[in-house]
Amino acid sequence: MSLLEIKNAKLKIDDKDILKGLSLTVNKGEVHAIMGPNGSGKSTLSYMLAGRDGYELESGEVFLEGKSLSEMEADERARSGLFLAFQYPVELPGVGGMSFLREAVNSRRKFLGEEELDHLAFVKEARKVASKMFVKDEMLKRAVNVGFSGGEKKRFEILQMAMLKPKISILDETDSGLDVDALKIVSDGVNAQRNDDNAIVVITHYQRLLDYIVPDFVHILSDGSIIKSGGPELALEVEKNGYAGLINAA
Amino acid sequence: MLHNVKDNYITSVKEYVSQFEEKSFRKLASNDFKSWPSPREETWRLSRLGVLSRKKITPITPNFQKKNASLSKFNGSKIIRFVDGAFREDLSSKLPPGSSLNILGEEDSLRCFHKFKDSNLKDHPSTNVSFSCTPSIVKLTIEKDVKLRDFFEIIYEGGDNNLSVHPALYIELKDNSSIKVIERFNHLSSLIMPLQLVELKTNASINSLKIFNDDQQSYNLSANCAFLADKSNYNSFSLIKGGLFTRSETHAYLKGENCNLNLNGVYLSSKNQHHDLTTAIYHDVPNCTSKQIVRGVLGGKSTGVFQGKVRVAPDAQKTDGQQMSRAILLSENAIANAKPELEIYADDVICAHGATVGEIDDEQLFYLKSRGISEKKAKQILITAFLKDIINESVEGSIQNFVFEEAELTLSEIISKEI
Ligand SMILES: Nc1ncnc2c1ncn2[C@@H]1O[C@H](COP(=O)(O)OP(=O)(O)OP(=O)(O)O)[C@@H](O)[C@H]1O
Ligand SMILES: [Mg+2]
Repeated sequence: MSLLEIKNAKLKIDDKDILKGLSLTVNKGEVHAIMGPNGSGKSTLSYMLAGRDGYELESGEVFLEGKSLSEMEADERARSGLFLAFQYPVELPGVGGMSFLREAVNSRRKFLGEEELDHLAFVKEARKVASKMFVKDEMLKRAVNVGFSGGEKKRFEILQMAMLKPKISILDETDSGLDVDALKIVSDGVNAQRNDDNAIVVITHYQRLLDYIVPDFVHILSDGSIIKSGGPELALEVEKNGYAGLINAA
Repeated sequence: MLHNVKDNYITSVKEYVSQFEEKSFRKLASNDFKSWPSPREETWRLSRLGVLSRKKITPITPNFQKKNASLSKFNGSKIIRFVDGAFREDLSSKLPPGSSLNILGEEDSLRCFHKFKDSNLKDHPSTNVSFSCTPSIVKLTIEKDVKLRDFFEIIYEGGDNNLSVHPALYIELKDNSSIKVIERFNHLSSLIMPLQLVELKTNASINSLKIFNDDQQSYNLSANCAFLADKSNYNSFSLIKGGLFTRSETHAYLKGENCNLNLNGVYLSSKNQHHDLTTAIYHDVPNCTSKQIVRGVLGGKSTGVFQGKVRVAPDAQKTDGQQMSRAILLSENAIANAKPELEIYADDVICAHGATVGEIDDEQLFYLKSRGISEKKAKQILITAFLKDIINESVEGSIQNFVFEEAELTLSEIISKEI
């Protein structure tokens, strides 16, 4: 059984067709990269998967480990092991990073039938993961994403991913806004979590990220559907020639 | 020791009180003072006193045998206690050196009264009624250069059915002095008409926290007047959560240059409560700053009102006035009104204001849910944060937790009903 299966997904926003019959299958242990021009529907796809209100499918279906997502709210999907690293992480003034993480982690643990972590155990774990991501303790004390730099926000997304240990992660332009060193740190963080049991979908504009997080498959998303799929070489082709040729050929 | 204010407005309190027994409150107030607000009056349009006006209410005769009901919430605070509106020396703390409490004599009381009458609180019902009915005006004086670290905890309690309570407090901070004050209103089913006059002399500074937590049958019409001399600093935060009807009205006059005023507040309303935070800030001189952040959370059939007037006089150049209000409605039947009113007559000023009334931000809600947090929990987190944020910004570190817990108690009740 595949981990994630998107079948002919169609979605409208304000009467405008955004996803126009998108299909994608992701198996355990795989890394998929999705590239595509601005406005092609990449973030829409990720919101749809995460279960954001207003991003319900008009037709088509999505399965997570064989289970249809259509009836599941965003929080249930997340507890089931779906994770979205936001292209634009949301600021939560007044919500402390540590208590936010703890609430999230314990929600997931409860779902998995694991014991909830008490405050001390949690703080210890969070600090450990944070130090691997070169996230300063001080940042965990601050309100979530408030006043974080662009790069810090992205790092904090991956830190959450590391803490939640999802089955499938969708990383929406996690590389945008990262400097060279941060790109390496974040990529290392992602790679450290790769295993035979989970899968990652990275959405990116830059081939460079794929040197660090090497994908098994690369897909080109254009105008609401996947027009071409291939191996890592496809990303190199995009880097060299842009999307125009690929789109015209499709 | 008790003293009654006499003035042209009334002949004597005794006579005054006897009239109460014959007439309804409104009649008395309107006949004698022409001051009972009609619903047509602009500042009372959103907070109508209809039901109250028809009630028969008599000023309370303070019972000096009553013992204190509310315990102190702070270690080491200096307690100043009012029961039934009367200052109770026997239930208050000994004050630290450099500070003193006095009951004003007739002349000083009148002077105090006229400060109110010269302000835009002149027609506030509490101004007229309480100056007549208060057992005494109590004055807290802080001497020059005295900076007190311990909190003054001022507790107002007592009251009873169909009675009105009239505490009056005058706080004067002399040059370079500073204090921290926590006021707690804990009356039982009565009409409370507190008066407060704050005078800050040069470079004086006050941190003030007011918690309105009278019981659910009470009406509280608090009237506060503040005068700020140069370089003074007035930092105030109000938490309104109790009462059937609570309105805290504050008028602040920035009279000296380089002073700084914060009038922040939170109201938490449920059931059929009505909460009103009304402020007026008068920038009369240049180079002062004022800031207001007001937040409300409403459930049930409650209503919330924020009215914020900022007037910048033609001479008050380089004024910086900020005002932000935001209310979150958790129930379809709750109503929040925000009425910012900026009157700016100077040209070189920075004045910003914004008011929003709405639901919980759906982007933030989605972000939390996308991390596996249930909708209910997510809403709870966001509303809590909404309050924590402003509490942390408004009150000093050592009492942030206390204020937050006071808010959370009420908040969790509201949330458990609505979400
Ligand atoms: N809430 C919305 N209302 C109206 N249009 C929307 C909304 N959300 C997305 N769209 C439109 O849907 C299309 C796809 O947007 P989406 O954000 O998915 O693109 P993207 O591929 O992620 O682009 P980028 O590379 O710039 O991040 C765009 O044309 C966008 O304007
Ligand atoms: Mg996008």
